[in-house]
Amino acid sequence: MCETSHVRVMENILHGNDHLAKELQEEWTRTRTFVVNLLSSPGAGKTTLLEATLPALKERYRVLVLEGDIETERDAERIRALGIEAIQITTGGTCHLDAHMVQQVWQPVRSNSPYDFIFIENIGNLVCPASYALGEHLRVVLLSVPEGDDKVPKYPKAFRSSQVLSITKADLLPYFDFQVERVQREAFELQPKLVTLVLSVTTGQGITEWTRFLEKQREETFRLN
Amino acid sequence: MHELSIVQALCDQVKEVAISHGAQKVVRIVIEVGELSNVVPELLQTAFAVFREAEPLLENAEIESRRIPLKLLCQACGHEFHPALRRFRCPQCLSLQVKVLQGEELLLRDVELELVEEAHHV
Repeated sequence: MCETSHVRVMENILHGNDHLAKELQEEWTRTRTFVVNLLSSPGAGKTTLLEATLPALKERYRVLVLEGDIETERDAERIRALGIEAIQITTGGTCHLDAHMVQQVWQPVRSNSPYDFIFIENIGNLVCPASYALGEHLRVVLLSVPEGDDKVPKYPKAFRSSQVLSITKADLLPYFDFQVERVQREAFELQPKLVTLVLSVTTGQGITEWTRFLEKQREETFRLN
Repeated sequence: MHELSIVQALCDQVKEVAISHGAQKVVRIVIEVGELSNVVPELLQTAFAVFREAEPLLENAEIESRRIPLKLLCQACGHEFHPALRRFRCPQCLSLQVKVLQGEELLLRDVELELVEEAHHV
């Protein structure tokens, strides 16, 4: 006769990821390295926003970019062309980055630290990346105007788990039926603390504010700690 | 489709429980999947079927997903509600000070194990 046994576990399935993410965040907090995790669907303009942001930041700070993609080094090459260190993480099919992947690429370069900023560009996907903490201090979700203004309640976890919403490609607003107010209202009802920024790399709208915002967030985060 | 990664983490977690209890087989796994956890229970089943084949401890295991509906508590007036259209705003007093009571979790709840047969000599 076989004996059976019931075990009550009640443990988060992603606790392994969360634990590792916490360790990474603690390390980065000690070295005052402010880490930003960028989330969006493919083509919302994550790399383009970084290209517009980094030249100003690199004048005053040490910056590292971790580029997540399923295949190719293309995005890392775009960042390196600006004279900024970039490491490509190719997942080979996985639809999100996790803390383990970040740790793998971080290990060999951590001796170059302290970096002041690390930007982690997640895989283009509004669903899966939202479930995985990477040790970031700030999660930013991008929504581009051509994607439509109805996305917030459709992808609640991405918006709810972020602290900043960047509406990108704002120069296209005249050509799309996209109501910024609708997005702001729906985002506010899902996450009242979400800060919304309206950006256009083409016209430069909001880019200076966005860069200042990041600097301020870094200062505030480390003054508190 | 991050259900594969989730099932991988789940299988590691279940194996740990099984080994620590000296179990021979895992019979049943019960998980709680919150409405806002971004996980599709049917895809978990499919992914689990793949992982199960590669792991002798799990080869006979069944997985049960319990869907946990989203439930919010208004901290201003105490009203408990299910948010329509993902609006985290109290329908009674319109406050945005709401707390998630349940519905964001992704938990391993129970594991049912078949323990190693003990040699009984009568």
